[in-house]
Amino acid sequence: MNNNSAKAGFLRIIVTMLLSLGIGALFIIGIGENPIDAYMALFKGAFKGKLRFGTTLAGFTPLLLSSVAFAVAAKAGAFNVGLEGQIFLGGIASAYIGINWTFLPKPVLLIVCFLGGALVGAAWGFIPAALKAYYNVSEVCSTILMNTVALYITSYLVSGPMSAGTANAQSHPVTVNLYQFMKPSSANVGIFIALALVLLVLFMLYKTTWGYKIRTVGTNPDHADYVGIDSKKVFIGSMMISGALCGIAGCIEVLGVHGYFLNNFAAGLGGNGMLASLIVKNNVAGAPFMAFFLSVLKAGAMGMQQSTGVPKALVDTITAVFIIIATMETLIQFKEKAKKKDKKEA
Amino acid sequence: MSEYVVTMSNIVKTFGHVQAVRHGEFTLKKGEIHSLIGENGAGKSTMMKLLYGMYPINSGEIVIKGKKMDHLDPKTAIEHGVGMVHQEFMLVEELTVLENIILGFEPTKGMKIDFDAARKEVQKYIDQYDMEVQLDKKISQISVGEAQRVEIIKTLMRGADVIILDEPTAVLTPQEAKRLFEILKNLREDGKSLVFISHKLDEIMDISDRVSVMRQGQYMGTVNVEDTSPLDLTKRMIGREVFLNIDKAYGKAGETILEVKDVWVSSNKETSKIRGMSLHVKEGEIVGIAGIDGNGQSELIEAITGIRKVEKGSVILKGKDITNLTPKKVRDAGLAHVPEDRNKRGLNRTMSIVDNLVAVQLDEEPFSKNMMITKANQDVYAEEMVKQFDIRPTDYNLPTSALSGGNAQKVVVAREVNMKKPLLIASQPTRGVDVGAIEIIRNTLEKAKKEGAGVLLVSAELEEIISLSDRIVVIHEGKITGELLASEANEENLGLLMMGGKESK
Repeated sequence: MNNNSAKAGFLRIIVTMLLSLGIGALFIIGIGENPIDAYMALFKGAFKGKLRFGTTLAGFTPLLLSSVAFAVAAKAGAFNVGLEGQIFLGGIASAYIGINWTFLPKPVLLIVCFLGGALVGAAWGFIPAALKAYYNVSEVCSTILMNTVALYITSYLVSGPMSAGTANAQSHPVTVNLYQFMKPSSANVGIFIALALVLLVLFMLYKTTWGYKIRTVGTNPDHADYVGIDSKKVFIGSMMISGALCGIAGCIEVLGVHGYFLNNFAAGLGGNGMLASLIVKNNVAGAPFMAFFLSVLKAGAMGMQQSTGVPKALVDTITAVFIIIATMETLIQFKEKAKKKDKKEA
Repeated sequence: MSEYVVTMSNIVKTFGHVQAVRHGEFTLKKGEIHSLIGENGAGKSTMMKLLYGMYPINSGEIVIKGKKMDHLDPKTAIEHGVGMVHQEFMLVEELTVLENIILGFEPTKGMKIDFDAARKEVQKYIDQYDMEVQLDKKISQISVGEAQRVEIIKTLMRGADVIILDEPTAVLTPQEAKRLFEILKNLREDGKSLVFISHKLDEIMDISDRVSVMRQGQYMGTVNVEDTSPLDLTKRMIGREVFLNIDKAYGKAGETILEVKDVWVSSNKETSKIRGMSLHVKEGEIVGIAGIDGNGQSELIEAITGIRKVEKGSVILKGKDITNLTPKKVRDAGLAHVPEDRNKRGLNRTMSIVDNLVAVQLDEEPFSKNMMITKANQDVYAEEMVKQFDIRPTDYNLPTSALSGGNAQKVVVAREVNMKKPLLIASQPTRGVDVGAIEIIRNTLEKAKKEGAGVLLVSAELEEIISLSDRIVVIHEGKITGELLASEANEENLGLLMMGGKESK
């Protein structure tokens, strides 16, 4: 991708953001509230004070990873709806290791927790990818189904064998934690790990032969096979990278935010991650910004509801408007293309 | 009004920097079949697309039925009775034949489509010209020949009396071609004027009244068919200067590089499309595979290169059995491959020229090191390739989708040939590219051969096969029908074998 189109893409995201906020404002006026007050409250709810800003960051971390995870899979042509399941299973693996493998010295244990989460996430990504590559089973269907399977596996574990015996379905606390630097919020160093991983993914995609192969398979699998790139293996590989990123997201949630495995903790992370990535057309560099925007909206919504009469469901409306505009924008692009084509032929 | 229904004079048409038609002349009389011939890229299809209004002309004049056409587009062309049957059919696979024919101007009765009226109307044409089609079958269920008849009926239904047929026989079996000719003759008797684009000389001699020749975008004259011969037409069509002067080195063939032994291969649609083919290629020779498109060439090449499964039989490359190995392993065993479809396989159109140039050797130094892409080295290489193969534009960071057909193909050829692999397979290497690129590509193949590579060449262009190959293998319906030395081959005997050797002259 050249610089210009990246810049234009970035500009488009900003314009879309403003537009959707503008339409949101109309809704707010419609229910008789002042949009400026509401947005100020939303902004404050997301950024004002250690607790609020920290909470925003803590919510941003897993979304960042899941959005990039989706984008990586998409780069190879895979539609990974299974983010959530991969997060759950990665999380439970990390929790298991963090609780039970106390024979390891703490720093090692921490690393092993991450590795375990990544590995299990990758394995959960491998299954639908292999089914798709070798048996042409739609990865969309299988990942959706596998999300439910993953949720039930973890639910069973934390209410049965791994249960802490509390009223909530949750595991015993893990013995290692990620440092929380904005107490009392649960923002933790996991965010830096996540950011580093995103940079690593970007580097991988555009500077290594792996990335080249992933991009080739995603844009023209026939060409890939012809030049000697095994499109099936690359497809599976990218799904595994995607799964690993999700697994790590789960690990950060368990070690950094909760300190134990909380049943159903990742609900919505998959969908939102997908959303963030899709809106920026699976641009790995753009997805983090989108993920941040969504987290801010989400984190600020509660504050907005509390200090103004605007219900927090408005945020969902804004998100929905956002999606509509983003898709319309592809429509506009399509029209422009058609026009250009006409011109060429005319 | 003159005796001509169509007059095109002093036509010039350029696409970017490529002059597709430098000087075009064409006239069409009422009730004649006028053939337009020339090699690929000679501008014959472009001339007719100009007449059909698909592109505007840069300069010149088009007169249809006495009326000078200033702004011609397909809609006005149709209104003036010009219809075109394209090389690739424009039919909706999932609709029935009848629905396809009336698509876009359905006769209506109230809010409903009046299928009965439509059927009657269509039936009229079917009876009149003896064009048997099954009106209620879906397009996906009928043969290519039948689909072509549907296209012809479509143009008639739209009131065409000037019908352009762009290489109509390229996709047909001999029987179907014969059938088509009957129909064309019926149409002529009825006073329709037909333009027949082809480069198959025997067909042209058989069906035309007059023949116009184009070469490199230039009009080379028109002759009555009684006053000419295939040999005469070839001379006019190819000229001496283009590639007949390729300095062919005979008899230096060395060890066998590729051996295909009794290979059976399925196509996407039918099992055992190729039934027991055997051939071999030696060092320093070009073996041409001649055949009508769709007789198993694609499947054979895909099977050799590891893209398609071999059902039965074996493929041996440099003494190594490569049957059903992955494309990567076949390449490692010594294959370079220019595929038939540069847009589908040959290139990744979204990626840059340099990315495409290194695609095959990406994992090797100097193009990458420890999995890191070494962009600087790739740039040096790309710069050299762009120069050597005259790829334009020269900015190798542009996506290949920005390239013209000829330049895009040069990227593919540059990538494949430069590796100097012992076996080079070139499938339709010059299809749809301009004359300049054709020359560069053909010379490159010849050079690869001189340097000791074994070259397997598949081409729909008989003259390309004849002028480049040392040996020619002819295939028909998945079987080899004959093998000739290039020195013994001519359009006649190859054509006969291509049709299965059944029909004799």
